Amino acid sequence: MEVIIQIALNALVAGSIYALITLGFNLLYSTTRFFDLSYGAIAAVGGYIVYCLYNLLGLNLYAAIVLGILGAGALGFSCEKLIYRQLRARKASSAVLLIASLGVLLVIQSALAILFTSQFHIITRDLSAERVFTIFGGTITEVQAIIFLSAITIMLALGALLKFTRFGKAVQAIADDEEVANVVGINSEKMIGIVYFIGAAIAGAAGIATAFDTGIMPTLGLAILLKGVIAAIVGGIGNVVGGVLGAFVLAAIENTGAWFFSAEWRDVIAFLVLIAFLLLRPRGILPK
Amino acid sequence: MEYLVHTVVLVSIYAVQAMSLNLLIGETGLVSVAQAAFAGIGAYAAVVLMTIMGVNFFVASLIGALAAGTVAFIVGIIFLPLRQVYYILGTVGFNVIAWSVFLNWNEVTKGSLGIAGIPRPVVFGYALSENAAFLVLCLVSVACVYGISALITRSSLGRVLHAIREDEDAVAVFGYATTHYKVFIFVVAAFIAGYAGALFASYLSYISPTNYIVPESIFALSIVILGGLGSAHGAIVAAFLLVVLPEVLRFVGFPSELAGHLRLMSYGLILIFFMLYLPKGLFGKFRI
Repeated sequence: MEVIIQIALNALVAGSIYALITLGFNLLYSTTRFFDLSYGAIAAVGGYIVYCLYNLLGLNLYAAIVLGILGAGALGFSCEKLIYRQLRARKASSAVLLIASLGVLLVIQSALAILFTSQFHIITRDLSAERVFTIFGGTITEVQAIIFLSAITIMLALGALLKFTRFGKAVQAIADDEEVANVVGINSEKMIGIVYFIGAAIAGAAGIATAFDTGIMPTLGLAILLKGVIAAIVGGIGNVVGGVLGAFVLAAIENTGAWFFSAEWRDVIAFLVLIAFLLLRPRGILPK
Repeated sequence: MEYLVHTVVLVSIYAVQAMSLNLLIGETGLVSVAQAAFAGIGAYAAVVLMTIMGVNFFVASLIGALAAGTVAFIVGIIFLPLRQVYYILGTVGFNVIAWSVFLNWNEVTKGSLGIAGIPRPVVFGYALSENAAFLVLCLVSVACVYGISALITRSSLGRVLHAIREDEDAVAVFGYATTHYKVFIFVVAAFIAGYAGALFASYLSYISPTNYIVPESIFALSIVILGGLGSAHGAIVAAFLLVVLPEVLRFVGFPSELAGHLRLMSYGLILIFFMLYLPKGLFGKFRI
């Protein structure tokens, strides 16, 4: 019984990180119809900014986190402006955009490896001061609880932003039909820039959460991205609520599987989930 | 002289890999980010046969290539019918999983320790332990694969593949089962990549999972993009340029770890640059 509770708690924490990635990815994908493979690397950059500012330079933790999120957002925004927008302006095919995003992934990943080595880094905290909560026999650390609550807050905030503001309506219009949105006076390029900033900032938050929870290394970006995209496909690609649901479903299956077999096979299990969904229910749990 | 031979051996092996990938991207328009995974399957299968059962290199590499082809068949029938972005994502995911299996299947692959003491090929009782002798085998391999790809390109099969590249729906309307053609060429490409992997393993006499990470697949992709889509000789020239480039970095005096990261970064930059300004590559016949 306690094992089940513990698995559920672990899945909740992992799921909230996946949900953040999925959220940002779905936001970008539904607005631009572009599968951005560099998205995970941007998440890793967020984590590394906090690691660098807080652990190496001794900056205040909250300031470091804010700068990490903004830094990731700014990086995503610049990639969009310098590379992806140019390609879209040339009516490049989706394969061209995808290959370019692989290039961006490789550049960011190797830049991180040059700056911080390929080793594993974890944002170190004072472990003795950290509180541990016990819920029905399962344990969750304070940091994990904060990660879960922040993820829920970000999800609700983004949901409200998209649903209740003029900005959200404009994004929805671009997602439906970019040309028509332009005709009615929406500056789609500017909106896509903002969407990129928000999406990349959310990725940065997920990267920071990962750096606190399990630690980061330069190659982790790709792994984070795959989890996020698999969750998006499980939930129904482009469906924001479905993506969040998919993230928790994926995390639950993964953690149960990791308990049955062993933690190394976690990624393999996630990939099998992807294959199962693509074959049996390609439009996801909640199709759009 | 020895150094020159070493370089030409590397160029030949990467050229074989790149020509196999060119059959996919260049001739059929299928971007794949899993060539390193298939090279790894070929390499591990051949190496296990050679080191544990003492099988001759030529038989072992053939079985390794068949193993890569068989896995490609399964991966292909799952992912090739899907929309392009899902298929590409599937290849990326498959490469991550293949690497994870190489790393964790300790009984067979010896995990991150890798397998050492891989023998060189033996021809009529004469072992190709001299690099110059091994070079001959590599050049013969390049010639064979060049011949195979010329044969495929000029045959009626090649014309169907080109038609799929230009407009898959139109080809399907004419009654061609396009998925069968795509699966076939996917398996052929994986077979050749598997052979290249076995060749590489025998040359280095040591393999470990890091030889088969996603960036290595992106490396193969950047060779094809640089050389130009649909051009087998472009792939050979580009393999030469991209193998020599890191050697230059080392000559300039960068330490080898930094040179390794700069190598990957330059491949990423090449992808971005060519997608932006020269999507046809150096000798390409068309753009994706």
